[in-house]
Amino acid sequence: MMRMLVAYMVVALFMFPLYYWGTTAFKNAKEIFNTPPNVWTFSPTVRNFEEVFGISLGFFRQQEVLPGGGNFYMAPRLWDTIVVALGSTVLSIIVATLAAYGLSRMNFRGRHAFVGWVLSTRMMPPVAVAIPMFFIYKNVGLMDSYLGIILIHAVMNLPLAVLLLKSFFDDIPKDIDECALIDGATRWTIFRRIVLPMAKGGVAATAVLCFIFSWTEFIFVLTLTQTGLKTVPVVSSSFVTSTGTAWGNMAALGVAATAPAFLFILLVQKQLVRGLTLGSLKE
Amino acid sequence: MTARANRLRWLVSGESAFPWLAPLIAMLVVFTIYPLVYNVWLSFHEYAPFKRRVEPVGLDNWSALLSDDRFWDSISVTFTYFSAMLIVQVVLGMAIALLLDSEQRGFGLLRALLTLTLVIPPAITGMMFLLIEDPEFGVLTWILERVGILDGTNPILATGSTALLGVMLADVWQWTPFMVLIFMAGLRSLPSEPYEAAMLDGATSWQTFRRITLPLMGKVIAVAVLIRGIDLFRIFDYMFVMTSGGPGTSTYTLSLYAWQQTFSFIKWGYGATISLVSLILILIIANLFILVSKVRW
Repeated sequence: MMRMLVAYMVVALFMFPLYYWGTTAFKNAKEIFNTPPNVWTFSPTVRNFEEVFGISLGFFRQQEVLPGGGNFYMAPRLWDTIVVALGSTVLSIIVATLAAYGLSRMNFRGRHAFVGWVLSTRMMPPVAVAIPMFFIYKNVGLMDSYLGIILIHAVMNLPLAVLLLKSFFDDIPKDIDECALIDGATRWTIFRRIVLPMAKGGVAATAVLCFIFSWTEFIFVLTLTQTGLKTVPVVSSSFVTSTGTAWGNMAALGVAATAPAFLFILLVQKQLVRGLTLGSLKE
Repeated sequence: MTARANRLRWLVSGESAFPWLAPLIAMLVVFTIYPLVYNVWLSFHEYAPFKRRVEPVGLDNWSALLSDDRFWDSISVTFTYFSAMLIVQVVLGMAIALLLDSEQRGFGLLRALLTLTLVIPPAITGMMFLLIEDPEFGVLTWILERVGILDGTNPILATGSTALLGVMLADVWQWTPFMVLIFMAGLRSLPSEPYEAAMLDGATSWQTFRRITLPLMGKVIAVAVLIRGIDLFRIFDYMFVMTSGGPGTSTYTLSLYAWQQTFSFIKWGYGATISLVSLILILIIANLFILVSKVRW
């Protein structure tokens, strides 16, 4: 009982910043800037969401002027984030399922070293890739483009996707492939018709993680975009202006942008630890 | 049966893994090897603002590192952050994992709630803590002033001695649950026999933890430390949105310093050089760790 109480208190402590941020999205400026901070008492308003997404939700209308006051219309930025995350996830999964099948099923000299190389690309500091990519993208005209960001996010997620999918494919007995081979099936058919369907839970979990990591990525988008697209994490710093910070608007965008990710992560609870450890620990 | 086995061997013998790996290899070569080569090239060049072009400077960028105090500061900040965060998060993560490791009803919900912090973009986490630690209306500032730790004259993130702590708080909040989840999975997969034996021998719970749980959890801890360590070493987002490296150099990490040299101070080559140092250090540390801990994929 005592343990239960402590456990709840610890988790409540971790949930507090989420609660505070979530409620900030529903506060007006006066309540946000109040001292002592209004933690529990405020009159909820959806004005922040209306301003950020340019929609009218109709109720709780209030007309205080927010500091930083200008136009924080962010609906297109949410769209950018979705396009980039979806595009890079699809690309990662296509490339990674193929590679993971090869690594899981075929023996070749240097396979271990190859896996090590894939893993080592995961160790590269993003800044060491972002700096040269800035100049490369400028030269080839990929700056500020969906394609450019989708490609770099896909590459960023490849080590995770390859290693994780390999671990899911390794769980499927090789005998199945071998029987099918003897019966005249090609590797491609086996991959498409047998292994992929059997590993579909694992593929889905991998896709969710790729999506989340692209959704939350910061430095590549910061570096490789200028005036065109911008994703939610990068645009969040633009709420800080010389006349003040539009906390309410920023929190509203943050809440709208993290809610779907919350849903996704709850869907993959079972494979989460395996995913976070790049397939090396199984639950 | 031998006929089938022979046939299988014949079928498999001519196979090549290359077609399966080709797209992966192509993408990794174009987006990691090529940038790396470009970065090395860049580190021997520098942008000359008055001539508006990039010129070769030989080893200048590399030798400049030696006498650049801000670079050494950023090395020290990076290592301080890296080691402090690893220790705090492993210890705290283990404590919370032991606390939550229970079959009782309700604990599943707590575990699920803890996963939520992992999906928030770190840049937005930074903003959350910027609000919480705001010197005027931040809730943490208010609490710390009530209990007398702060006196209202030293804003957390604008004071040299506390700024890094303020940033660390965001990291601890967001990533301790990462450790908790991994450790909980590890705890659940432990065999029960050693614990029964320990109970019969009348071992205390600390002895049981120290002599049984910790050794059995070795691999799990090593994997968690490796993955978290890699991310900690290249930390960027929190500092970028919370402090921009300041005040002074108190929150300048290698990644942030490299980025700012290239893009804020237009020293393209020097920034590239610093980012290479960061790359070399992380590759050495991570591979040494893999070698010693025998973590395998």
